[in-house]
Amino acid sequence: MLFNSIDFAIFLPIVFILYWFVTNKNLKLQNVLIVVSSYIFYGWWDWRFLSLVLYSSVVDFLVGIWLGKQNNPVKRKLLLSISIAGNLGLLVFFKYYNFFLDSFVDAFSFFGYELSTRSLNVILPVGISFYTFQTLSYGVDVYRKQLEPTRDFIAFSAFVTFFPQLVAGPIERATNLLPQFYSHRNFNYARAVDGLRQVLWGLFKKVVIADNAAEYANLIFNNSGEFSGSTLALGVFFFSIQIYCDFSGYSDIAIGIARLFGFNLMRNFNFPYFSRDIAEFWRRWHISLSTWFRDYLYYPLGGSKGNTLSKVRNTFIIFLVSGFWHGANWTFIVWGALNALYFLPLLLLNKNRKYLGNVADGKILPDLREFGSILLTFLMTLFAWIFFRASSLEHAFSIIAKIFSPSFFHSIELPLKYLIVVFLIVLFLIIEWQGRMNQYAIAKIGTAWPRFFRWTVYYSIVLAIFFFAGNSQDFIYFQF
Amino acid sequence: MKKLLTTAFYFLIPVFIFIFLAEWFLTGQLKQSREGEYAVWNDIFNSEVNSEIIVHGSSRAMVHMDSQIISDSLQVSCYNLGINGHNFWLQYLRHKELLKYNIKPKLIIHSVDVFTLTKRPDLFNAEQFLPYMLNNEEIEYFTNSYKGFKYYDYHIPLIRYTGKYKTIGKVFNELINSEPPDSCRQRGYAPQDHTWNDDLEKAKLKFPDFKVQIDTASYKLFDEYIRECLAKDIEVVIVYTPEFIEGQDFVKNRSEILGIFRNFAEQYHLKFLDYSSDAISYNKDYFYNASHLNRKGSELFTKKLVYDLKKYKSNKSKVLN
Repeated sequence: MLFNSIDFAIFLPIVFILYWFVTNKNLKLQNVLIVVSSYIFYGWWDWRFLSLVLYSSVVDFLVGIWLGKQNNPVKRKLLLSISIAGNLGLLVFFKYYNFFLDSFVDAFSFFGYELSTRSLNVILPVGISFYTFQTLSYGVDVYRKQLEPTRDFIAFSAFVTFFPQLVAGPIERATNLLPQFYSHRNFNYARAVDGLRQVLWGLFKKVVIADNAAEYANLIFNNSGEFSGSTLALGVFFFSIQIYCDFSGYSDIAIGIARLFGFNLMRNFNFPYFSRDIAEFWRRWHISLSTWFRDYLYYPLGGSKGNTLSKVRNTFIIFLVSGFWHGANWTFIVWGALNALYFLPLLLLNKNRKYLGNVADGKILPDLREFGSILLTFLMTLFAWIFFRASSLEHAFSIIAKIFSPSFFHSIELPLKYLIVVFLIVLFLIIEWQGRMNQYAIAKIGTAWPRFFRWTVYYSIVLAIFFFAGNSQDFIYFQF
Repeated sequence: MKKLLTTAFYFLIPVFIFIFLAEWFLTGQLKQSREGEYAVWNDIFNSEVNSEIIVHGSSRAMVHMDSQIISDSLQVSCYNLGINGHNFWLQYLRHKELLKYNIKPKLIIHSVDVFTLTKRPDLFNAEQFLPYMLNNEEIEYFTNSYKGFKYYDYHIPLIRYTGKYKTIGKVFNELINSEPPDSCRQRGYAPQDHTWNDDLEKAKLKFPDFKVQIDTASYKLFDEYIRECLAKDIEVVIVYTPEFIEGQDFVKNRSEILGIFRNFAEQYHLKFLDYSSDAISYNKDYFYNASHLNRKGSELFTKKLVYDLKKYKSNKSKVLN
């Protein structure tokens, strides 16, 4: 079920009413409702893959219980390996099987051996990278004794399948989300209204900005051979806006819905395109994944401690794995490597934690230096997005070659209505800029503005969604 | 909780009022539009087609057959129901709605081409269905297999207008400007004042070995349609209108497709007029691309068609006498 569908607009109020009016007296029943609703939500897309969610829940629940009973380090390691193998096994089979097979065949053919293999027509289950990582973190936390294993299978299932964040995150940690299923939830008016406001803003980002930008990004990337460098550059810009608004819009909706049900999910985006260097960008982009890799991969590898060689190695590992997490394609790996190259100088010069606060704090506009840093970081990110969006490395290089050719100075070859989308993007960026100190761009109007102005803004957003909704596109991160 | 529900209730009242007012306004305005396909649908639903001769087909029908010339020459009313960009699947929808709201025609001139029995995946020019599709089972049945509308678009007011800012803009534009739009159709006929363009060269470069895939459901529907017309005593003449000679080799299985229509004509004893080898098909001046005649070409062609129809009619009556 998509958040921006009528199906979901019917589903959500039903679950909301059942949750707060029918099951509100009984915590267990509320959690059962969440699990059942989440299974319906996921099964709406393809019920066959519910078995995978159930499998992931059962494996980690049992591993957790056994880990809780076991003190023998060897046996504990073995149990953790079962959890890791169980989750990564799913991921490798559904997401990477054909990639490894094809790469293997290519490698052999490079040395003159022709292998005969058969690729499988594997359908990638929606959200598999998200819920496997979430359950994986539970196993690791219990293994590290940072978390008591749960004996409540319903609460654990609710944690794994919680529908607002099941298919595209934020990737929650058991330490944050699981305890919320143990305690009684009280309805809070201010929190619910804030949640609804965030949902509305997320919908605007997805439906108005991302879907309209997607129309041009797809047109330009899918027919890149027919466009000049200037149009291709505009296509990259459209894609950068699409992916940000698509994913952060989804996160806003997920966080907002969770708040409606009395849950707090972690923040996933913090105005990343206003970052002043790439390190700051990665502290603000897909935060739940970045911190996951930091805690479960980067730190265990030694992090930024140790000699220069190990710093370089660890940085490359984390960025390459992050790229590979996004998809079984060399383009994602190059995207990861490129970001590692951007990040390394900052790390080696010990400047990776230079910008920890908000940009232009307390000011209306950034100064020239800040503006230059933001622009440079954004341009570097744009360059990396080319690899992320291109269908192959050859495709990416052909786009780059055209952008860095005299045709960059040709006029844009699009029907003039693309200017409407550019106008909407500019308007959106202005709103984002003025709201950059908050959890999401329009959060402040809920506390600072009188009702008349607040409601005017809400109605304007509703009207903007009605008039300018782009052709409905799947959320990009569903494919990851 | 009570506070939230009350606030939500008050917030949603204007939203629901807007939904019903906007639905009423937009649909009402589009039902009066004289622009493009809207005009044709409006004439069908308002029983203003009521003609003895109906032209069916795609854009080739729409730009090739001048209803006025047919009407004047044969002394009967004629309306051109050619639907731009669509194959038989939606041509049949027009036919169904025509019979529901208008008198039964005596003759149907059905313009066929290589794409008639194919089915495109997208609902081209989906906006044309907006004013009439709400709770219209026929339109839902014939359009829901395309990538375009979803279930709720057919059943919930206003949803289908979401994101259609161009259509909404058009509504306001027509409201402000009393002048009829340029794309106005004359009894369904849409003459084109264009000169030859490079569509053919581009298409040949892009698809050097293009073959048409027949859609089985459309094939069956075409068969059903002919039987239905004959059962209702509606005469059908199948016409393959002129196609520029250099474009005739673009679709590699063209002769096979023409054979299908020839077989239909033979099977049901229909007249099949094929203008593929007519002199018009050899003269680039009459075309703006390989499959579409310009105004000069279409006027000349309609006169030829009328002449052939008259000849056919007189031969037929001789045989009958």
